[in-house]
Amino acid sequence: MLHEITFTVNDEPVTLAVKSHHTLLRVLREQLGLTGTKIGCENGECGACTILMDGEPVNGCMVLAVEADGHKIETVENLNKSGELHPLQKAFVEKNAIQCGFCTPGMLMMAKGYLARNPHPAEDEVRQAIVGNLCRCTGYIRIVDAILDAAKEVA
Amino acid sequence: MANDCTTVGKSVPRIDAAEKVTGAVQYVDDLQFGPSLLWGKLLHSPHAHALIKSINASRALALPGVKAVVSGKDTPKPIGLYLKDRTIFPVDRVRFVGEPVAGVVATSEEIAEQALSLIEVKYELLPAVYDPYEAAQPGAPLLHPDLGKYEVVNFIFPEPGTNISEHFKLRKGNVEAAWPQCSAIIEDIYSLPQIQHVPIEPHVAVARWDKDGQVTLWAASQSPFAQRDLIAQSLDIPHGNLRVIAPYVGGGFGGKAGISIEANVVVMARAVKGTPVKVRMTREEEFLNTNVRQSLFGRYKIGVDKEGNLLAMEVAYYFGGGGYNEYGTNIARAAGYSCTGPYDCSNVKGDSHCVYTNTQIGSAMRGFGMPEIHWGLEQIMDRLADQIGMDRVEFRKRNCVRTGDTIVTGMKMPNIDLVKCIDLVARGIGWGKKEAATGLNKCRGKGIAIMWKAPAMPPNPGSSAIIRFNEDATANVFVGGQEIGQGSFTVMAQIAAETLGIPYESIRMTVNPVDTRYSPYEWQTVASRLTWSMGNAVKAAAEDARFKILDTVAKYWKEDIKDLDIKDGVVVSYKSEREQPLKKMVVYGLPNENFEGWQGGPIVGSGKFMPTYVTNLDAETGQGTRAVVHYTVGAQAVDLEVDTETGVIEVLKIVSAYDVGKAINPDLVLTQIEGGAVHGMSSAFEGYIYNDKGLMINHSLVDYKIAASMDAPRKIQGEIVESAVEDGPFGARGVGEHVMVQTAPAMANALADALGIRINRLPLSAEKVYLAMLEKGIVK
Amino acid sequence: MQPFDYYKPKDFEEAFHLMNMPGKTVYPYAGGTDFIPMSRDGFWKCDAVVDVKALPGLREIKETPDGLFVGAAIRMNEIANSDLVKSHWDVLAQGAGSVGSEQIRNRATLGGNLCTASPCADTPPALYVLNATVIIRNAQGERKVAIADFFKWVRQTAVQNGDIVVGVVIPRPAAGAFGSYVKLSRRKGSDLSLVSVAALTFPNGKAANWRLALGAVAPTPIRTPAAEAILEESSDEAHIELAAKSAADTSKPISDVRASETYRKLMVANMTKRAVRMTLSRREKGG
Repeated sequence: MLHEITFTVNDEPVTLAVKSHHTLLRVLREQLGLTGTKIGCENGECGACTILMDGEPVNGCMVLAVEADGHKIETVENLNKSGELHPLQKAFVEKNAIQCGFCTPGMLMMAKGYLARNPHPAEDEVRQAIVGNLCRCTGYIRIVDAILDAAKEVA
Repeated sequence: MANDCTTVGKSVPRIDAAEKVTGAVQYVDDLQFGPSLLWGKLLHSPHAHALIKSINASRALALPGVKAVVSGKDTPKPIGLYLKDRTIFPVDRVRFVGEPVAGVVATSEEIAEQALSLIEVKYELLPAVYDPYEAAQPGAPLLHPDLGKYEVVNFIFPEPGTNISEHFKLRKGNVEAAWPQCSAIIEDIYSLPQIQHVPIEPHVAVARWDKDGQVTLWAASQSPFAQRDLIAQSLDIPHGNLRVIAPYVGGGFGGKAGISIEANVVVMARAVKGTPVKVRMTREEEFLNTNVRQSLFGRYKIGVDKEGNLLAMEVAYYFGGGGYNEYGTNIARAAGYSCTGPYDCSNVKGDSHCVYTNTQIGSAMRGFGMPEIHWGLEQIMDRLADQIGMDRVEFRKRNCVRTGDTIVTGMKMPNIDLVKCIDLVARGIGWGKKEAATGLNKCRGKGIAIMWKAPAMPPNPGSSAIIRFNEDATANVFVGGQEIGQGSFTVMAQIAAETLGIPYESIRMTVNPVDTRYSPYEWQTVASRLTWSMGNAVKAAAEDARFKILDTVAKYWKEDIKDLDIKDGVVVSYKSEREQPLKKMVVYGLPNENFEGWQGGPIVGSGKFMPTYVTNLDAETGQGTRAVVHYTVGAQAVDLEVDTETGVIEVLKIVSAYDVGKAINPDLVLTQIEGGAVHGMSSAFEGYIYNDKGLMINHSLVDYKIAASMDAPRKIQGEIVESAVEDGPFGARGVGEHVMVQTAPAMANALADALGIRINRLPLSAEKVYLAMLEKGIVK
Repeated sequence: MQPFDYYKPKDFEEAFHLMNMPGKTVYPYAGGTDFIPMSRDGFWKCDAVVDVKALPGLREIKETPDGLFVGAAIRMNEIANSDLVKSHWDVLAQGAGSVGSEQIRNRATLGGNLCTASPCADTPPALYVLNATVIIRNAQGERKVAIADFFKWVRQTAVQNGDIVVGVVIPRPAAGAFGSYVKLSRRKGSDLSLVSVAALTFPNGKAANWRLALGAVAPTPIRTPAAEAILEESSDEAHIELAAKSAADTSKPISDVRASETYRKLMVANMTKRAVRMTLSRREKGG
């Protein structure tokens, strides 16, 4: 079954036809070419596909594309749309909070959504916030530090 | 030299950071192949051990959208790195639950998936064996009756008629004569289950077999060149016709080394010539079908005299190599020649076996045999120290290897400082000081463990590099090693910049993707060997380019090349104090006086490195002049506490120190140390769980848990020791794997310190700890 | 994932029409966090889903004369962060806040957590101690099912084909009630319960009433009347020990990939103690 949906992706209005059973993750990657959002487990466990839906972090693999109709979606590609790196991106670079980079887009989007809700988090709160974003390379400590650093900048 | 470095030794920013934080980096799954792309799915064996009697794909082929089905009859020729013990699809027998039996190519992933259920495979079940020790016993069900007929390299020793694919023997001194002189001897068994790499990027491969015979494989790969070699041999493709393209890897840890699904995808593409075919493993397939770290059954007997000197060690390792051991044999070999751990002991009897078991293929994983053997070794060292009443740190310092020691294989130990590593972590963790628990029902303890590891590889794996200058004096550096997160491209850029005498910012790493058609040869991105081996090649290429530049300028100035140097992108003469910027001249050369002809021309430097000094070891004793290129050593200390109401272990702090020879980029070394500590900690809680039919039942991230943010210790302190190694660039050697090798035994030792409990089999699950506390009467 | 159709009706009439399409297997659909993985893995197969999120009332959370109404399509984070829920039904907020990850809690719904009827679900134990009632509608009308009658077995509930869960109604506990939800899992965050305990106490004259419910240690959540009776005698340490032992005796855990029966039983006792002590400490602090 095909559905015509209209939604906002990275502040641009989009209308397209999607299949009932296709996830938003798949449609972002395959129909819109937004491959910054990664496929890690398609099971809601790894967070590599974290995007913002109306500002809230969700797993792109856990949302049907048709459900995005009328909503506002934001992916990692939006962070530096102005050409300048977002404070979170800068902090990740400065802290060397990146290794293979595969979890990075999801981490950034999780952090962005979380900081919008809690702009002055404590270390423990950040650790708790990103618990659904798995990283096998960094050991998380630098990611947490980077988010805390960026929070100072964003606030 | 080292003191004058401008780039090497500096924590310059990662060269790949910007493209990674913007989501611009393309991994294999992100590459676009257009609407003609076909999708492949693999049919997995439901049985642990069975003969394939027939495969009938006619119903699958009749499904609209299905383009092809391939299976073992299409892949008769063997494939394998050290021992050619498998075919791309199994021909007549399956050897583990999850083994790919057939591949379907269809117009969509859904159709391919649907077609899988329409393939009829008739099996005849065979008895299966899962435990490596049982599998090594006479009378165990044989997985490879034809073991004696397989092609094998000259340093691997299979035992036909058994399940033993490699038996490495080490004989040094006389253990039997030494036992009576020991005042304490510990004999015990330590073991561990398979674990998985769990990179966040699953395996993905796309292949296209053109009608003119050109074959292209895009793969998430640590080993594009090795894959080209293995696939070309098995499918009779001329090496020059097979192109492997490998963009950035989203985490490897050894799981994307050697070969897993890539050859299968090439075979699937051959069936639909001219059209690309893509296979993306689901997370469940990652667990069931891709390579794992081998299980280990280890039997140890170690004795010391009353002063605490190690007198004798007798170890027998049985690695559960899984259904195919083409790569895994070399893990058992590495565990064999390093069987003592980082200790100096005169009497050693070691037997290291790789054993076929009806489980996932055991292959490379970060540490390559070392985490497995150190799990037992490092706990026994603690117990021996306790028995003779010696401090655990002192005991290690007394017995650990030192520079110049004749180590277990007879080789002289290259420059290292393990004692310094031990001192650093002991100080960092506050050794000897009992810390207060953070709450009620908590018990706190500290543990230490030390390690060694050599790059484990064939004697002669090569590296090569090319450097090419541009008009503005920027330089493109071409290598064939992979960026899997460890920072290799950054480190190569630093080595190139330093050697050329140009700013780091002037280097353009021209690597992504690694492309076997254009990239210089690199054996594999494994064994923590890139900084060292590829670094040597880059340094050689930079020296070549530097020489060409200086030669041009020397002729232009009519000066002696010995008086010239390149500083910050400018050629300077120490004699005449003249200066010549590199801009333009590195492409256009320099004119002679009055433009009477020209000197130089486009600067291209090339370099290679291959260790030429590793010798074979005696098959009966494991003795030889130089078993390996060198070792990296290190120490770790852990401060943890146990919740006595649940058995849950919380790691509070880890201090790690490694002797890296020279830290080309200190902060990147620290990122390896930190990430490795958490990986090591996580590995202590991980493990494959099987049902009685050989099915791994925790095959998802729901039930195979890796450490998440809340599990990471509060603090990880990294310490860098630099005892320059003679055969590395600027004295550097690798550290990527070492950082997780001894975390699990350090935790076990801390657990023993906290509660007096010893756990002999991983994982350190809360349940196991709690039941052990119950048994010991610590809780009721 | 095999194809299925998707509908998002705006009223119940249309919804029930869709739910009853002849010859079709139709699933109600809310957050998707169970449905998507289950259908991707082929465990659940259906021809169509009916998204209930636009149905009247399902996205409401409000206080009614009968107590707190939480619509079936209210998401876990909406419960966990709701001041209304936290005001008198905090134990439910705690349960909802312990589900999965931030991302999952932004999608997973209360209705889904109930209908998938996983023994280790995190909101049911809280709903048990709060004596919640589940409101179910179908083409014939509406019915109310007490939470204890809602769960039948592992992944089996009182929901029949053609039913849609509208929400739950939770009576307002007596003034001075305090509750705690304690969950033991393998990893600190984003993991399933091995054992969970919800505890609620509220004053009854000079005495105190207690309710305890256990999750993940029986085919459905269970109350522990014997343990509750012990605590109602006294909540001193000796009685807490006895109640914990009694709760463990009441539990009927299984051995599975996550933990053994033995360990789970031991942990029922310890987590019961933890939940009771935590509740007492909340009561002492008054919040």
